[in-house]
Amino acid sequence: MTAGGPGAEARLLDENRLPRLEAWLTEKAGADRVTVVDEGPLSGGAISLNLAVTLEIAGGRLAGRHEAVLRTGSASGVSASLGKAEEGAVLRAAFAAGARAPEPLFISAADGRDDALLGAPFYIMRRARGVAAGRKVVKSDEPQRELARELGRQLGLIHSIRPGAAELGFLPLPEPSPALQCERDYRAWMGRVAGTDPVMAYGLRWLTLHAPPPGDLVLCHRDYRTGNYMVDQGRLTAIIDWEFAGWSDPMEDLGWFCAASWRFGQTDREAGGLADRADFYAGYEETAGRRVDEDGVAYWETAAYLRWAAIAIQQGMRHTSGTEPSIELALTGRMLPEIEQDLLRHLDGLAGRKLFGRTA
Amino acid sequence: MINDEPDARGLVTIALQTFRESILPVVPAEQRFEALMIANALSIAERELAAAPEPELAAAIGGLIGESGDLETVAPRLCAAIDAGAFDTPERQGELRKVLWELTRARLAVSNPRLLAPSARQSNS
Repeated sequence: MTAGGPGAEARLLDENRLPRLEAWLTEKAGADRVTVVDEGPLSGGAISLNLAVTLEIAGGRLAGRHEAVLRTGSASGVSASLGKAEEGAVLRAAFAAGARAPEPLFISAADGRDDALLGAPFYIMRRARGVAAGRKVVKSDEPQRELARELGRQLGLIHSIRPGAAELGFLPLPEPSPALQCERDYRAWMGRVAGTDPVMAYGLRWLTLHAPPPGDLVLCHRDYRTGNYMVDQGRLTAIIDWEFAGWSDPMEDLGWFCAASWRFGQTDREAGGLADRADFYAGYEETAGRRVDEDGVAYWETAAYLRWAAIAIQQGMRHTSGTEPSIELALTGRMLPEIEQDLLRHLDGLAGRKLFGRTA
Repeated sequence: MINDEPDARGLVTIALQTFRESILPVVPAEQRFEALMIANALSIAERELAAAPEPELAAAIGGLIGESGDLETVAPRLCAAIDAGAFDTPERQGELRKVLWELTRARLAVSNPRLLAPSARQSNS
């Protein structure tokens, strides 16, 4: 992420909002005074607005100077995304579980009573150092084995959060199983395309036929991939972009992480363009308390292509419908054939393998 | 409507060429990503305008379900047949996959032809 400096667009923290936010923070922190220094928008996130801020806090439990990110924006566009107050609650749970999520410092109230402050729910988290951009992260002559392993360990920690966790009651439980719930969701997100694009129709049918039975339910990040974590000098500093988190089959996150879509040109390093799957899997097994189920990962990698396709279709529709004209969204819509090619390649690679009682 | 010349394809082609040769080299760094997206969008449009109709593809799809018609007609019918389980057996799945590959490669030839080469398995950004 790079700071762009206060832009020409309407500023989020204008002369009305800034003092209101400072007063709110002063009360929340039990401080004498809080000053917010607006350092401009950060890139990253097609849905959210991220603002670099420094909090200067006098007195109270957080006295001192804190480099932070203010994240806000309505949960528009992509169906699965959480509101910012909910996302903040997920972040808090992940941080408490020991995962390297940015520490949330302040979260707007879940009941919406703070939304008037900035016009939408928001939270403020500590700012991590490093880069997230996929092409930069995967750039390395040698495989980044330790980074892949560490990302496996981190995922194991995230997956220690189970349904029933305090503060996460708003996350819906999948019915009748994570796999079949996902198939239904993807189909709904695709809209008419599910009935006009035979590759999508086939992929959805495949997901139904090969669905694993219900098993462990854990907190899945659901966008755990290269591009969504930050690295500073080869070391992991933060896992970001939690807006799609939900209860699911733990293998969903592993399949997503290893999908061909997020290798940024390092095609042969199947764990996120970093290293072999073995390193990532080994790290996962160190902390997760469960083995990696390779059949499950293979299933969820198929699901990953369908999910990414459904999101690309939705992004394209945000443009095409006229609600949000954007060349980036328009071009994302036209990525569908390459996602479909990755899907077909993956399915060809599974041909003949027995998955959950049925030959793929 | 009167068909004025150059046509849409001719206009997009020369617009793209001019953009690449004269504008792209002088675009400031902050706008470069957007400029590259513009070039990409125009080149997809150019290829789409140049693409010939594909009777073989429609015929291949129609052949799977014993129907005929253009792509817009047979593709939804194939989807309905897939949903109904008509391609669940390994043999039928094999036939279907072959046609799905043809369809995907034809669309990729418009949207991102550099990914067509078998070795060019690349990710998006």
